[in-house]
Amino acid sequence: MSTVATRAAPVTATRRLGRHRMMRLGGDALTYVGLAVALVFFLGPFFWILTTSLKGNEDFFAYPPVWIPSDPALTHYAALFTRSSGARYFTNSLVISSLSMFAALAVSLPTAYSIARWRFGGGFLSTLLLVLRMLPAIALIIPIYIMYKMMGLTNSYLGLVALYTVVYIPFAVWLLVGFLRDFPVEIEEAAMIDGCSRLKSLLRVVIPIIAPGLAVVALFAFIATWNEFLFAIVLTGIETKTMMVLVTSFTTGGTDQFYGEASASVVLGVLPAFAVAFFLQRYLVKGLALGGTKG
Amino acid sequence: MISSDHTMRMPALAIKRKQWEPYAFASPALFLIGLIIVFPLAYSFYLSLLNFDLAVGPDAEFIGLRNYTEALTRDQRFLESIWNTAAIIAPALVFELLLGLGIALLLNRVTHGRPIVTALIAVPAMVSPVMAAMAWRMMFGVKFGAINNLGRQLGIIDVYFDWFSTPWLAILAVVLVDIWHNTPFMMLVLLAGLQSIPQELYQAARVDGASAWQSFWSITLPLLKFTMAVGVMIRMIDLTKIFGLIFILTYGGPGGSTETLAFNTYLVGFKDFRMSYASALSYVIVFGVLILTLIFMRISRQREARAA
Repeated sequence: MSTVATRAAPVTATRRLGRHRMMRLGGDALTYVGLAVALVFFLGPFFWILTTSLKGNEDFFAYPPVWIPSDPALTHYAALFTRSSGARYFTNSLVISSLSMFAALAVSLPTAYSIARWRFGGGFLSTLLLVLRMLPAIALIIPIYIMYKMMGLTNSYLGLVALYTVVYIPFAVWLLVGFLRDFPVEIEEAAMIDGCSRLKSLLRVVIPIIAPGLAVVALFAFIATWNEFLFAIVLTGIETKTMMVLVTSFTTGGTDQFYGEASASVVLGVLPAFAVAFFLQRYLVKGLALGGTKG
Repeated sequence: MISSDHTMRMPALAIKRKQWEPYAFASPALFLIGLIIVFPLAYSFYLSLLNFDLAVGPDAEFIGLRNYTEALTRDQRFLESIWNTAAIIAPALVFELLLGLGIALLLNRVTHGRPIVTALIAVPAMVSPVMAAMAWRMMFGVKFGAINNLGRQLGIIDVYFDWFSTPWLAILAVVLVDIWHNTPFMMLVLLAGLQSIPQELYQAARVDGASAWQSFWSITLPLLKFTMAVGVMIRMIDLTKIFGLIFILTYGGPGGSTETLAFNTYLVGFKDFRMSYASALSYVIVFGVLILTLIFMRISRQREARAA
């Protein structure tokens, strides 16, 4: 009786283990297949746009379709930069996004510090910031357009940068408060006992230490401005257009003749997104949940 | 020991006692928010009570709530835009949640290379809606688009198909592009939620003989419930504001079938220049979003209470 039991137990155990391992292997295979399908779906469009932007004209119109151009060329990028003033609008996007990024940081950091150190505003301020983040941009652009029109601020860098700066304050403050709360107060107190003023300790002690956090906020603010569309299309004119507004010029009059330049502008327009996705992996959830990249 | 520590900290506490400092630090941002957000919003509400129309002229008179009653009772185009927005939101949310959960579960099983795969799948979420829509607009292209080309090559379709020819198809196309654009966000939120579930729970369940399906159903789902709710609420609020994607992909067509709330308001304000009426419409949207935001706050507070 006992011998049967001892002999039978290992057999069923190995059989169960075998089945278990089989299921595990099968599950792993399915996992990789599923992820591969997801990667193709989410990255396929980028691949197609990139290859399209490198195709010659005869490759657009070829059937069977050319998926990978045999002799890739940068002619469409050259055409975009010269014929469609792409260089101008690309620079506009860069300048407006960078200025708004710095301004948003400069204004938000002291506010975040005030909230993190002294619990300034209490729950009210955090609720206000949340409500501002959820606020539909369309509600803001109507009065802003009328005010800017009266003040002559439409079609100006100043008007756009001021608007973007303020719109991203809630987001920047929210993230910065998190970083500042993690910062040990003791270091700051030590600096202040040694004779630093509050402002000096913020500039000389706090900022250098939380610099990585500041970089995270800065990159998110940059990409949010880079991606913004509604304010840009209403407030920009011929000189101040951004890349997002440039793209609209390819949707009228039939896309077919513009495939080259349109795809080249999309490639340039999504470049920062790739950079941010890779550099800020750890912060993507927070940044996307709070950030105003949608519209 | 305790007393010496106490005296050590006293000077720092003394330095903290400057009543004006918190206000001084916070004032630049608060001033700018007041000037460029709060004041314009108040002005816009005042505007919504007038009949100011830039196409007619600068004169306007006070008409009370008439803009609001017109929007909510007689304006067929606006009422249809509510319906159109809902018709986009509902399927987009369902698919984004299911797909996002699926991919998050797959990623959660992977041990090697998870960060790089996650980052790659997350890229679409970082892209501007305008760029996403432009890429897909070209892919949907009738004669030279990737979708028709691929379909013909694989023998699935044998004609040049127009993906925006009927209202339902256009809505489906918008939903598909939004799924591509925002499922990564849902995936990231849910993956973070999955990774915060203690592994001990699964080990205990396995010891008790629970199958994978059982532990998913009675551990993962209940613990992920609030994370899912938060993700869905954020997406719902952002989808009620959907604009750039519509502008590029369909421009509201065909026949206004994809005209959403924000897009309709944009047309009223910046194509017809009926500023007062557009303000009123935007306040209807603000009111809707505010209700959703209140629900969102309730949910996230509950989640925090659960976590604590």
